[in-house]
Amino acid sequence: MQSTPDTIVALATPAGRGGVGIVRVSGAKVGAIGQKMLKQALTPRLAQHSHFYDPIDNQVIDLGIALYFKGPHSFTGEDVLEFQGHGGPVILDRLINGIVSLGARLARPGEFTERAFLNGKLDLTQAEAVADLIDSTTVEAASSALKSLQGAFSTAITEINQQVIHIRVWTEAALDFPDEALDTWQIQQLLAQLRQVIYALQQLLGQAQQGCLLREGKTAVIVGVPNAGKSSLLNILAGEARAIVTEVPGTTRDVLSAQLNIEGVPLHILDTAGLRAATDIVEQEGVKRAEQALVQADYILYVQDVHDTVPDPYIVAKLSPYQEKVIKIFNKIDLTEHSPGVHHNAVYISAKQGLGIAPLQKHLLQCMNHTTFSEGQFMARRRHLVALERALAYCQEGERQLNSYHAAELLAEELRMASQALGEITGEFTTEDLLGRIFSSFCIGK
Amino acid sequence: MNFPEHFDVIVVGGGHAGTEAALAAARMQANVLLVTHNIETIGQMSCNPAIGGIGKGHLVKEIDALGGIMGQAADLAGIQFRTLNASKGPAVRATRAQACRVLYKNAIRNAVEQQAGLKVFQQPIQDLLLEKNKVIGVMTQMGLKFYAPTVVLTVGTFLAGKIHIGENHYGGGRAGDPASTGLAESLRGQPFKVGRLKTGTPPRIDGRSLDYHLMQAQPGDSPLPVFSFMGKVSEHPQQVPCYITHTTPETHAIIEANLKRSAMHSGNIEGIGPRYCPSIEDKIVRFKDKDHHQLFVEPEGLFTTEIYPNGISTSLPFEVQLAFVRSIKGFARAHITRPGYAIEYDFFDPRQLQPTLETKPISGLFFAGQINGTTGYEEAAAQGLIAGINAVLKVQAKPAWWPKRSEAYIGVLIDDLITHGTLEPYRMFTSRAEYRLLLREDNADLRLTPIAQQLGLIDQKRYQALQLKQQLIEAQQKKLTQLWVRPDTQAKAQLEALLGQALNREVSISALLKRPELDMPALLKLPIMQAALGEVQQALAPLDDVQLSHQLQQQIFGQLEIQAKYAGYIAKQELDIAKSARLEATPIAKDFDYTQISGLSREVVEKLCSHRPPTIGMASRIAGVTPAAISLLLVYLKRANGKTHVSLEPQQLGVE
Repeated sequence: MQSTPDTIVALATPAGRGGVGIVRVSGAKVGAIGQKMLKQALTPRLAQHSHFYDPIDNQVIDLGIALYFKGPHSFTGEDVLEFQGHGGPVILDRLINGIVSLGARLARPGEFTERAFLNGKLDLTQAEAVADLIDSTTVEAASSALKSLQGAFSTAITEINQQVIHIRVWTEAALDFPDEALDTWQIQQLLAQLRQVIYALQQLLGQAQQGCLLREGKTAVIVGVPNAGKSSLLNILAGEARAIVTEVPGTTRDVLSAQLNIEGVPLHILDTAGLRAATDIVEQEGVKRAEQALVQADYILYVQDVHDTVPDPYIVAKLSPYQEKVIKIFNKIDLTEHSPGVHHNAVYISAKQGLGIAPLQKHLLQCMNHTTFSEGQFMARRRHLVALERALAYCQEGERQLNSYHAAELLAEELRMASQALGEITGEFTTEDLLGRIFSSFCIGK
Repeated sequence: MNFPEHFDVIVVGGGHAGTEAALAAARMQANVLLVTHNIETIGQMSCNPAIGGIGKGHLVKEIDALGGIMGQAADLAGIQFRTLNASKGPAVRATRAQACRVLYKNAIRNAVEQQAGLKVFQQPIQDLLLEKNKVIGVMTQMGLKFYAPTVVLTVGTFLAGKIHIGENHYGGGRAGDPASTGLAESLRGQPFKVGRLKTGTPPRIDGRSLDYHLMQAQPGDSPLPVFSFMGKVSEHPQQVPCYITHTTPETHAIIEANLKRSAMHSGNIEGIGPRYCPSIEDKIVRFKDKDHHQLFVEPEGLFTTEIYPNGISTSLPFEVQLAFVRSIKGFARAHITRPGYAIEYDFFDPRQLQPTLETKPISGLFFAGQINGTTGYEEAAAQGLIAGINAVLKVQAKPAWWPKRSEAYIGVLIDDLITHGTLEPYRMFTSRAEYRLLLREDNADLRLTPIAQQLGLIDQKRYQALQLKQQLIEAQQKKLTQLWVRPDTQAKAQLEALLGQALNREVSISALLKRPELDMPALLKLPIMQAALGEVQQALAPLDDVQLSHQLQQQIFGQLEIQAKYAGYIAKQELDIAKSARLEATPIAKDFDYTQISGLSREVVEKLCSHRPPTIGMASRIAGVTPAAISLLLVYLKRANGKTHVSLEPQQLGVE
């Protein structure tokens, strides 16, 4: 029995550019999706003005243009539907969410092009280009996925994953080694642990959906000696863009972060505790985090007091591996002769007086525009959320099976699938890994 | 000196793999020779006198469904039967039998000697006869040559086997049997990757010297399970119980004090042992905070007083063995009849095998059993069966066959071995099967007997029984959706009592079956089910076999229940299988050039080149091959097909 390939959906435009966001769907379910979400008949290759309806609650998500192509006369050779709307992450999120709820799945990097090629829509001579595209978008997507995982989210997910593995180990051990006096088959205990996992997943999903934990767009880290004016810079940037400033808890020296939106392009800014040779353990932790931020950041905003003639050698040393990412900013020009703006390879500003801020933002925008941006962190974030949602559903079903029917093997099956879903975020956990855990946790041996 | 007769298949080794291979090949009308160094050891159980268990029982049922001998022999020799995980769902229930060694060996040997087309010969094999990259026969120790286009090697732990007891070691394939050194050397000279594994076995004890009253008895189940789908309870011999006892702190102290003298712990043994069958030394070292370890006292048979203490495998020196054994509860006066020992042996990296178990470097040469790095009689038997089948198919120039991961545990076993290889002796667990809910003991015949019929592996009675079973299940499934319990009948009252809630509308039996509070035995008590029961009984009458009919009847209603209760999960898994079916069926040419694909890491290219997976599906399971890599592969495959019209290997994929 052959099955039809999945219907796939992806963002066709990078998040935040220009005011248009295009979501593209390809596959057999396009017809049904179009019906439910556009509520009007679709004519191929006709740009139709339409409301986009959320299939979950029938509310209007957006008003835009729908473009339908009937296979094989489409980009991929399958039925294709494009939703051209107003961009903006919230709208696009709901749109994609709605489409996924109707049975589509998020496309893998380069999958649309891959399908186009496999369905003979692209020339054979383009095979290498296609392969290159798949390869590069995968790399980009992987790095986006990595960046999308902020510290707190990553920690939470890792912990949940460990708990799921733990329950799996107990359940599988009880199933594969019933003769051993393992004492694992304590249903109440397993239920308690499972419920804890479910709760943790629900919490995490809630936070992630509010956008607090997964970010999109590029990251910039502000670095400099304590009195250079980093915090003032952060405040004024955040204030100018009317963004949210949140404190990231969990560190002894709080790391401030702000989500900016510069002409529609999201930028995440982190003000680290400050890089310096730290003496005690507590400060060392803060410095370690600052160093990690340097690695992951797309840009490093190196803020110096324009009066300081000698740059801090410690900072200079720390920044030397990241030269291409560094944007030099000289602050406190209000007391000098310097004019605000970009010159001599640096940006001259006065955070206190609000001088040179607009040029700084323009400069940042230019930097971001220059870099290639294909799948983007938007999709990465969406993938993480989908994986979490699936993991939660499996755990809930597993809990039901265990609680109502004491069906251990069905719980094991649900956990296996939950583990697979989480593995999409944290990395695969194979059968060998599972067996390894079982044998190291329990003394089994006949 | 050449033996005058030429054979189609020569099987080297008369153990669990060898006997299944030889019998299957002969059933398929091939001319088969089984060569063993000792006819008396045909069908011998080297270690634990038991068949089945979790994962293993599943393999036995599948072997039986394909006409193999293991299940039947276990029925004739089983002296204590249990169904494991009985209180858990059907997917994880497994049958296990303690077997009388003598009865088991007799059953196997009898089958071998009664099989038409199968001849036996006793001589150790010294060498393979090769012509370039093809096998053409074997040569025995005395120089006698036997010729055949296919040879199945199933020499178990005999290749360069070295036995260790404490500080002593000597060559041996098994206690009391010599190692195969000539063959081992000759094979090491071939282009095979060889590794070293080890395994251990406990001392055997004279049961007369044990204090059973200090132990806990473990009788078998009642009613008794049956392994073979064609087997009967009446075939079982006399039943005896097992016993459970445990080590003491004193045991642990003795062992700890002598750890350095353990062959496995002193580093004198090459090779990696199985994690799940640790020696007692291992257990004590790794789980220090346990002050006692359980062990199972298993009778070796009806005609001996020897017992097998399961759980204290060891390679400590004999005097230490004696001391620690006597510190076990109930073992104070124990007399050891045979010392425990560790054995290290050569094995061949199974990644050099095709899914048919034919080796990639040498055409016509098949490897099956422990030499592929597995452990367990059942794992060996399963491989032997597949190797024997495919040796014959090769000789008959017919398409090869092997079960897929989604069809049988045997499929999981083979796929795991040839895709991942193994670092420790590989043993089957249900957690290895992603389709565990579909691959149950109860449906092995439904899954595999039809293909067995096509391959000529089974007799008509079995096929007739299967056909009847399939028809009746299908017919009754339909009927039950249309059998209604009306609100005004007595049946309703009975059901409400069972369900603990009111039934307001009429409901079908099918729907009722899905309720976890109800099971088939309860529903069968309802008067409306009597008609169904009667129908089935009548339909089975032509088999003219009361016990078999009764069993089939139970199986049929059992299937109806299981299929109802698992319906949602079965559907989901079948959907998953359908999704991967496309990838499984997409072939890759044997000589496909992986190096031309830019974007694949060097590591992945190396793996693909050394593996040469026959399908995309198999490629995707190789460690390190990501979905993106598969995408790239598909793109280049298409380009290759479009450009050069390369005709790929004929459909040797077993996909029907």
